[in-house]
Amino acid sequence: MIKIEHLQKEYISGSIQVLALQGVSFTVETGQFVSIMGASGSGKSTLMNLLGLLDSPSQGSYCLDGIETSTLDEVGRARVRNQKIGFVFQAFNLLPRLSALENVELPMIYAGVKPAARREKALAALERLGLEDRFRHRPSELSGGQNQRVAIARALVNEPALILADEPTGALDTRNSEEIMEVFQELNRQGATIVLVTHEPDIARCSGRILRLSDGLLIADEAVQPPAAETRSLMPRADIREAVL
Amino acid sequence: MNLRELLKMALINIKGSKMRSLLTTLGIMIGIAAVIAVVAIGEGGRSALNTEVEKFGTNIFVIYVREELRPGDFQMIDVEVIKSAVPQVKYLAPQNNLSVKVRGPRKEINLGLTGTTSELADIRNIEMKSGRFINEDDQVNSRNVIVLEEDAARELFGTADPLGQQVSIEGDGALVVGVVRKVESKLDEGGSKTAYVPLSFTSHMRGIEMIYYLYGSATDKTAVDEAMNSSVKVLERRHQNPKHYSCESMQGNLRQINQILDIIGLIISSIAGISLLVGGIGVMNIMLVSVSDRTREIGIRMALGARRRDILIQFLVEAIVLCLIGGLLGTIIGYSGAFAVAKIADWPPLVSWKTIGLAFGFSTAVGLIFGVYPANRAARLDPIEALRRD
Repeated sequence: MIKIEHLQKEYISGSIQVLALQGVSFTVETGQFVSIMGASGSGKSTLMNLLGLLDSPSQGSYCLDGIETSTLDEVGRARVRNQKIGFVFQAFNLLPRLSALENVELPMIYAGVKPAARREKALAALERLGLEDRFRHRPSELSGGQNQRVAIARALVNEPALILADEPTGALDTRNSEEIMEVFQELNRQGATIVLVTHEPDIARCSGRILRLSDGLLIADEAVQPPAAETRSLMPRADIREAVL
Repeated sequence: MNLRELLKMALINIKGSKMRSLLTTLGIMIGIAAVIAVVAIGEGGRSALNTEVEKFGTNIFVIYVREELRPGDFQMIDVEVIKSAVPQVKYLAPQNNLSVKVRGPRKEINLGLTGTTSELADIRNIEMKSGRFINEDDQVNSRNVIVLEEDAARELFGTADPLGQQVSIEGDGALVVGVVRKVESKLDEGGSKTAYVPLSFTSHMRGIEMIYYLYGSATDKTAVDEAMNSSVKVLERRHQNPKHYSCESMQGNLRQINQILDIIGLIISSIAGISLLVGGIGVMNIMLVSVSDRTREIGIRMALGARRRDILIQFLVEAIVLCLIGGLLGTIIGYSGAFAVAKIADWPPLVSWKTIGLAFGFSTAVGLIFGVYPANRAARLDPIEALRRD
């Protein structure tokens, strides 16, 4: 599914060369739910941008769904972003002047899907996320949790090989965060491959595997123990903490 | 992204900031309105002028003397000689004008009496209301006959039929043989009423043959210049008096008027051009603002799979649509202006499809030219940077 080998990325900041990723290798199998963790400056944003094909690596290879992407040109990368990757951002990144439905239709417009089919698929995706009565609303008329669900519907609608979520709960309160993480877990159970970038351990624990980055290197690759009910809810953890104190 | 999507997106964004868009298109609007108005008024005026001129007959020219007219400068024999020597001359009629008092059964009125021959009717497209125009017999036999213009006939005879009646021209009796329709024209200074008599009659009245000028028409539109210039040469040769004669044609006058109209059009068009230029810069400015305002949107679109080309086209289409809206409003304003002017001046407001096409062509071109730079800037944004922007 995802096969990354010796991925490197250098930036030139002024006259100084910065090596943001110093050769990272890992593999993600189809249907896995992986979190990438790390402090700021660890290279996780750089890795995220490379995984999302928003940037190209200085060296190394990145194979996504059988496509070697490191040699693609701008048009090729745009195509892979459109067909193979569904983005979910911290700030939702919906277009404010478009309705929920039109926002979800957007990736299909770039994919060249015909209007009728587009509408049908977008409605189905919104329905899947429980937003069937909200499709005419604009982002400003929806709550944060609802907006993020619209964004997830948009990420799903082209049936991508990979859902790439960048701090998807960063702008949400606890209750909404919980809901959104449940959505991701449900999608994963239905077979979606998800890579999630976060700095919150509680969020990362919702996934099945955590990759830790530090100073541009992969320092840990650990499986999350599934403690049955507990990973599904964040609230009890706070309760436990309170009880301990 | 197909055109429908592009137009929809452009309209959503333009509607999103209505006031800004409207103000931006103001320059385009004024430029296009000016172009439409100038063309419409100009074309309308030109066509009105041409229609008026045709009422006086087509292909007309007149030959006159440059300075002081002396007896014998034009003679009846000149007319015959010119007609046989210059094939481009179709009709040629001598003419003089006398101001006389004419008495009819109702009252005495002042008339402009035109002494001429039968051919004037053909040259000037004179239309008979009743009776006939003066003919060759009248001229050859110096008959005392008169052809009245309809309003003169009404004043002299009231509702009674003037045909076969007598009028008195300063003591000489004359038989009314015809009534002609008056030519309604904005070019006619109006005023004096007219009647036609055989030239020989006026010679008899004044005791001397006086021809003031020769009226003619050419066989063809393209032959007018040739016809009148050759006629002048014949006269010069016959009277051994070079530079004494001069000529003018309706077409020549028309040409001059058209030239003036062209110059006025050119001046206003350059003002319109400047307005379009300034408008275009305004559009470019606002599109740059729009690109910077919507940097994040551009990043999002790129993340969702938009190619740089898609972004470029989207912003280009938006600039063009902005200009087309300006062009449309300008066309409406320009046409309304032209319509008002046409209404006041009583001529047809001529807005051809060509003009409207021109306006929309200009709008599109302005949008394209001034939209390229901002659109290109949008397309060259780095998606990572763009997504990071607030």
